Amino acid sequence: MTVAVSSSSGLGRLLTHTAMLTRRSVRGRLRQPAALAPSFIFPLFFAALGAASFSRIAERPDFQEIAPSFLNYNAAGAILQGVLFAAVSASGDLATDIEQGFFERLLASPVSRTSIILGRLGSAMVVAVVQVIVFLSIFIAFGARIETGVVGFLGMMIGGALLALAMAGLMSGIAVRSGSPEVVQGSFPLVFALMFLSSAFFPRIYMTGWYRTVADWNPMSHIVEGMQSFMNEPLAADQFLRAWAIPLVVAVAGIMFALRALSTRLKAL
Amino acid sequence: MTLALEPRREHRADSSAVIGALVRRTLLRVRRMPAAFVPSIVMPVFQLIAFSGAFGAAVRFAGVENAMDWYVPLNAVQGASFGAMGVSFGLINDMQTGFFDRLLMAPTRRWTLIAGPMAGSIARAALPILLVVAVGFAGGMNVPGGWLAFVTIGVAAVGIALVASAFALGLTYRMRNMGAATLTQFAVFFTIFLSTSQVPLSAMNGWLHAVARVNPMTNVLRLARQGLLGDVTWSQSWGGLLAIAVMLVLSSAFALTGLKRLER
Repeated sequence: MTVAVSSSSGLGRLLTHTAMLTRRSVRGRLRQPAALAPSFIFPLFFAALGAASFSRIAERPDFQEIAPSFLNYNAAGAILQGVLFAAVSASGDLATDIEQGFFERLLASPVSRTSIILGRLGSAMVVAVVQVIVFLSIFIAFGARIETGVVGFLGMMIGGALLALAMAGLMSGIAVRSGSPEVVQGSFPLVFALMFLSSAFFPRIYMTGWYRTVADWNPMSHIVEGMQSFMNEPLAADQFLRAWAIPLVVAVAGIMFALRALSTRLKAL
Repeated sequence: MTLALEPRREHRADSSAVIGALVRRTLLRVRRMPAAFVPSIVMPVFQLIAFSGAFGAAVRFAGVENAMDWYVPLNAVQGASFGAMGVSFGLINDMQTGFFDRLLMAPTRRWTLIAGPMAGSIARAALPILLVVAVGFAGGMNVPGGWLAFVTIGVAAVGIALVASAFALGLTYRMRNMGAATLTQFAVFFTIFLSTSQVPLSAMNGWLHAVARVNPMTNVLRLARQGLLGDVTWSQSWGGLLAIAVMLVLSSAFALTGLKRLER
């Protein structure tokens, strides 16, 4: 695809280029459904598995204080899992661009350097929004209910997009620094560990010992619980704080890391 | 001088020597590319810790004393099955470099080309199984079944490693690309998780209960777990042994027919 470059300058130029590269990146992802499919299939499979395995536990009074059903509890975990998978994969595509030379072709064009990173992050956010819509539609079709209604739906959509931005930002930094898709994929176990050592798949109240301590301190626990509370509790300010503010802070750090890595790579050229 | 197309019996290499050489080749690949082997050690151990920590309460509510008792056999079996991926990757590599053509031209019995990589998968499975059991001990795993508990875990894990590697060979002979390894991983993953992997049958409901009840992996896991949950008995063993035997016959036939198809 050819990237058309406008003659405008400054912020307008950055936004135009970012939008174009986001569109290119989204199209690239849609052309490889096999690469995108796991980020939809695995979270839904695990959600179905969890709902069938742990539904009896969800009948316990202490669980009922958290969520009315395991399906309701599980929705946020599935979103988290899907968004993280897709964000890592999007960053892997950036590393592939570097490895295959498309990155250098972009540098040879008068495209904004920052938009090369932001375009990828934009596509991760677009995919995350689609994932949240698809996942919640499936969960609702199987009987889940969003306690906070449309506001909660939007809250989770924006939360998912911010989480994608955060993870894709961090992973893009690794992609730009290494220029290797293998290194990006090799970082995935860290994401996997962060996800499992949190309350994404099971409530913290049932965890014990050091595992509970790690889950208490893990920011993923608080992000996913923010999203869970959109599903299971009346609307409150802390839901936005946990589901939006934490990923936003990580996103800012991630973008700075990615841009710094880009700057280092450009200086080395 | 005439060239004998069919090598005489005495000119054929000893089958056990061929299998031994293929096993050594598997181990050599592990030594040369440790980065490809490390995930098959790390993942079962991590999954054991993650499942015990996250879902521990679910199995304790179902009557299991320590979550490790439930998840050690699962992860030993799953860790052993990862060897199948290595078998598939190794075969693809041999096909790409032409080494496999040299094996086909060698005066060896065809079945040894199946048995060799399968035996290699047992060698690859040993370390993940031992590590998972060691972490289980560190986590306070109970062993009421005594030494027989380890025999049943070993039999189940090695059995699944053999089944998975034969399946991987059959797929790789047919597909001849990396997709075979991915498909093998998916098949093993879904077969294991659609059984009593996470919780006992009594804790499940709906579709999963119906699927897990007829899934042969449920019997295999029952065989592996019995010694950590109570005594080792024949009634808890025969179903798993039968499941492994049937899957092994079917997957070996799948591998042999795949090799014949490749030769044609």
